[in-house]
Amino acid sequence: MVSEVKLSHTAAIILQALDAGFVYGFSIMEMTGLPSGTVYPAMRRLEHEELIRSRWEKQSIADAEQRPARKYYNLTAAGKTTLEASRKRYPLLERLIPSETQEAKSL
Amino acid sequence: MRPPFELIFRVFHRSLLGCASLLVPGRQRAEWFREWQGELWQVCIARTPTAGFSWSGEREVVEFCLGAFPDALCLRRQNAQTIMQFSSLRGSALQCILVMAVMAVASFAIALLLPGVRAEHSLLPGQVRRGLIMIKDADCNDDSSPTISPRQYRTWKSRKQQYFDGLSFYRVTKEPVAAESHGSTQWEVGRASSNLFSLLGLTVQFAKADVKADDNTPRVILSEEAWKRRYNADPYIAGTIVRVGLHNVRIIGVVPDGSAGLPGKVDAWLLEPDSMIVSGYKGYVVARLTASGKSAMWASRIGITDRQSNHSEDDLLGFSLDEGIPDSKTVFLFAVFLAFLALPAMTSVSLGEYSVSSHRSSWFRSLYRPGFLGVKIALLLPVAYYVSLDMAYGYARIASTQSVYIQVAVSFTICLLGMRWALQDQRQRCPVCLRRVAHPAQVGLASRTFLAWNGTEMMCMGGHTLLHIPSLPTSWFSTQRWLYLDTSWEFLFAIKM
Repeated sequence: MVSEVKLSHTAAIILQALDAGFVYGFSIMEMTGLPSGTVYPAMRRLEHEELIRSRWEKQSIADAEQRPARKYYNLTAAGKTTLEASRKRYPLLERLIPSETQEAKSL
Repeated sequence: MRPPFELIFRVFHRSLLGCASLLVPGRQRAEWFREWQGELWQVCIARTPTAGFSWSGEREVVEFCLGAFPDALCLRRQNAQTIMQFSSLRGSALQCILVMAVMAVASFAIALLLPGVRAEHSLLPGQVRRGLIMIKDADCNDDSSPTISPRQYRTWKSRKQQYFDGLSFYRVTKEPVAAESHGSTQWEVGRASSNLFSLLGLTVQFAKADVKADDNTPRVILSEEAWKRRYNADPYIAGTIVRVGLHNVRIIGVVPDGSAGLPGKVDAWLLEPDSMIVSGYKGYVVARLTASGKSAMWASRIGITDRQSNHSEDDLLGFSLDEGIPDSKTVFLFAVFLAFLALPAMTSVSLGEYSVSSHRSSWFRSLYRPGFLGVKIALLLPVAYYVSLDMAYGYARIASTQSVYIQVAVSFTICLLGMRWALQDQRQRCPVCLRRVAHPAQVGLASRTFLAWNGTEMMCMGGHTLLHIPSLPTSWFSTQRWLYLDTSWEFLFAIKM
């Protein structure tokens, strides 16, 4: 059922950014160039669809770096399956945001 | 950047986030605000210079903050969808059963709280054991006058009786009563056989187990009225020694006023063995009927002939102790019976016409509808019973004819209106999913002319059926009909079931 989910281009880009290691809102904005009014609602919908999940960073880590704690997002198994399907639909996705595994291969 | 500007912009950013957070559902608001504050900190570090001032940087930060509004609205919509899923219960069979179950539990809880209802369930004339009679001389017209001598009682007790298998005697005398802390006074004392209360089947209140198994001191049971007046309703009264007449006696408990339903006003019941019954005073005899005695009863009375040893005969009369006030369950069942009789006059008992449809449900699914109707009526009965008890005995401490009338009226009304509602509700429930049909549409004038039919159409929101109800029943369309929809209609019904 999950593999049948058809994502918009924006949602696919966000999933690809998460897969590439950009795991909190502002870093995804920076990577994709999308505005906050697009990125955060899209992440809410993806989380609602259980394609991504969120967790809070440990406060001790944030305190050590003297900044507020971040909310990190990562892909679920369903999210990874959907991302694979989206890559076939949007072939340029991986070229726009190379994933961590692909970068390692090219190195 | 100058500090005042920095402070003003920080306040402005936080105000924007604060305003947006008002759109977020309350339970998610704190976490949402925390995430956006963290992200805002990142944006400020990235976009605003550490020294100096940048309008473009500040504009980007404000743009970032404005993005919080669509995000908050998104969360709000998601929350509304969740609520929508819960609201899909509206009109369902489950909702109906839940509401009725809550009503039944609430009326029962109120019944538990009302002292009158509690008393009705435990210690009232209706609860006096069935099949008890009071025996009196047939020549005496006054039921409350003592007419039986102790000699007669002893004679009957020594013989095997045809009509009764248990006897108890009592007489009422005025006795001086003295207690250590309460001085002396005069009481109406019922001097009774020690088996009187076990024969009546009454439970003594505030009794103590160790007091019951105590020494040979005579025992006395106070009436509720004397207990309140003389002892200020002391719940630890059991065990107290008082002096009644010439003897010290021990109080073993309290019996609620009117619970015994016996003639004669009594302040205290002094329980004595039959050997201590004094001759020369007439009293009352309570008897428990045998099966043949019950069958010989006529209009709550029974004629008894007492044959003496000298072949003379005394005519006696036994009258039922529970003839006056029926118990609440009997009253309720009578009201339910009346309601069933009156129901056809209030509404049609038909559940709708299904025979014309070619649709055939599985036998299991076809049990849903009568099962659901049965559950509704089964839940209606406890609601009617406990609400009627609440209203009839809410104020009354003792059952009276007035409370019986109130209970009959309330139970009858609730049962009649409730069953009328149950049938009407049943007729408008989809035979497939038991959801109430909705969106009534009146057939217009054109249809009336061309189709020679007028009425109302209602549809099941699950997309299973359409209900046609004729406005004017005719010979070819007299009652409502269900039209079962096939799968080609599914695209019209977006509600998730």
